[in-house]
Amino acid sequence: MTNRQTILVIEDEKIIGSYIETILISNEYKVLRAMNGMTGLSLCTSHHPEVVLLDLGLPDMDGMEVLQRIREFSNLPVIVISARTQEREKVEALDSGADDYITKPFGAEELLARIRTALRHRLHAGQGQKQEPVYAKDELVIDFERRLVTLQGTAIHLTQIEYKLVSLLARNAGKVLTYDYILKEIWGPYADMDNQILRVNMANIRRKLEANPAEPHYIFTEIGVGYRMLE
Amino acid sequence: MNIVITVGIFVIATMLAVAFFHYSLNSTSVAIIYILAVMLVARYTNGYVPGVVASFLGVICVNYVFTYPFMRLNFSIDGYPITFVAMALISGLTSMLTTQSKKQNQILNEQEKLLMEAEKETMRANLLRAVSHDLRTPLTGIIGMADAYLADSGRLTEEEKSYMVKGISEDANWLLNMVENLLSVTRIQVGGTRVNTSLEPLEEVVSEAVQRLRKRLPQARVQVQVPEEFLMVPMDAMLIEQVIINLLENGVYHSGAEKIDLYVIKEDKEAVFHIRDYGKGIAPERLETIFDGGGTEENQSGDSHRGMGIGLSICKTIVNAHEGTIWANNWEQGAEFVFTLPLREDTGDDK
Repeated sequence: MTNRQTILVIEDEKIIGSYIETILISNEYKVLRAMNGMTGLSLCTSHHPEVVLLDLGLPDMDGMEVLQRIREFSNLPVIVISARTQEREKVEALDSGADDYITKPFGAEELLARIRTALRHRLHAGQGQKQEPVYAKDELVIDFERRLVTLQGTAIHLTQIEYKLVSLLARNAGKVLTYDYILKEIWGPYADMDNQILRVNMANIRRKLEANPAEPHYIFTEIGVGYRMLE
Repeated sequence: MNIVITVGIFVIATMLAVAFFHYSLNSTSVAIIYILAVMLVARYTNGYVPGVVASFLGVICVNYVFTYPFMRLNFSIDGYPITFVAMALISGLTSMLTTQSKKQNQILNEQEKLLMEAEKETMRANLLRAVSHDLRTPLTGIIGMADAYLADSGRLTEEEKSYMVKGISEDANWLLNMVENLLSVTRIQVGGTRVNTSLEPLEEVVSEAVQRLRKRLPQARVQVQVPEEFLMVPMDAMLIEQVIINLLENGVYHSGAEKIDLYVIKEDKEAVFHIRDYGKGIAPERLETIFDGGGTEENQSGDSHRGMGIGLSICKTIVNAHEGTIWANNWEQGAEFVFTLPLREDTGDDK
């Protein structure tokens, strides 16, 4: 690690901030800390961090506003830190440009996984949309070029929509995709905004890919928010 | 207010009677109109007085205006006295009856309100008592261990240290679930009988609940099974997840066995969730009251702060608010918790 990646932590709770900092430093990241939104924004412009961790409850301004201001000049990955039970807040943050969210309280593993995912997707975006041609995890292989899905070596038959869904999730593996985002990507911007159809399709996919639909291994549900695929 | 109502009804009645009398010259029908007016007065005013006054007024009006000699009181016409007496009696009695039944209704209503209030009060008191007990115990552990660590960290072995920190982390996690439980109660609207439901795929809710439990209790061995058929169930997913987590956690902590089965069956018009463990079961005398909160004191397991008093009573509140039912029973080996959620008829199947 010659060039350590910088992570900006915008969080007003001292203890949580130090906790995050400790984890990140011991995992070879460089950490910048801001206790409020204004400092966070100026650190963001002056230091160009690789990832921003943003707490939505800040003393001086709304976390959503910080997010929007960051999005005005940069598309660097922003991971929102939110409290549980506020699905609406999470969805709102994701739909207005956050890359991912993490729910308080979270463990070190979870936080590091989110950051790695964010960094990897940023890398891909930097290379001009070049994606890995294959998603392979455990028994599941998705070949994007041949549009082929195999599980334990046997080809799985998916409908057109189902394939589109699975490949969308796989290309964004590790990242949560909101219902609205998925609906727009698959059914187009004018689709009926009822997510029922999406959930029925997901149920069908689950029955084709998962050994036990009640204990999914590849595609996880975040109820009220969206879906996340194993990375 | 009473006077306004009485006068108003009488004005209307008189106008009607005049119109009627103008066409038919029949004073008996007019009397009936007034009896009706008296009844209405009794119905819409408070107390006996307006009704009784109204009945006299009615008799006088009929006599004065609508019987010969007009515009004069005369009680001596042949046959008329009986009509008047009858009218006075009928109106007086009806007015009294209506007033009485109204009063009884009012008393009943008040009693019901008082009862409901008292019930809510006991529920709240129970909950608060259980909360303070259940919160204080793990907090004592956390504070104690942290203090001991800070005071003697030099003399403690690495093993002891990690044991203490592990204890702190366990207790804190348990507290977290407690707080989430309490938070979930606030999602149930005031009155405790309604929740905002939306159709949710059963398997997604179940799988998320199990996932969250595994995150906290990695040692738990849960076997999950849902119906093969895709089922949408109207519910508040967060709350039902909480119910499932509470019941699974209860199974892990209390049964003494770590293996738990969670299976959901679709029956006729409801989804039935079974959470079965293979531990020592529930004491028979507690089966009836296990969901009523409290009862943590008599817990014979050494680990008394893991009392599920609040957790189970919250489960009941949540399930009831979904118009489902919840109960517990024992098997030859282990205990089983079952709860049901009604399915909406137009969804889930047949489609």
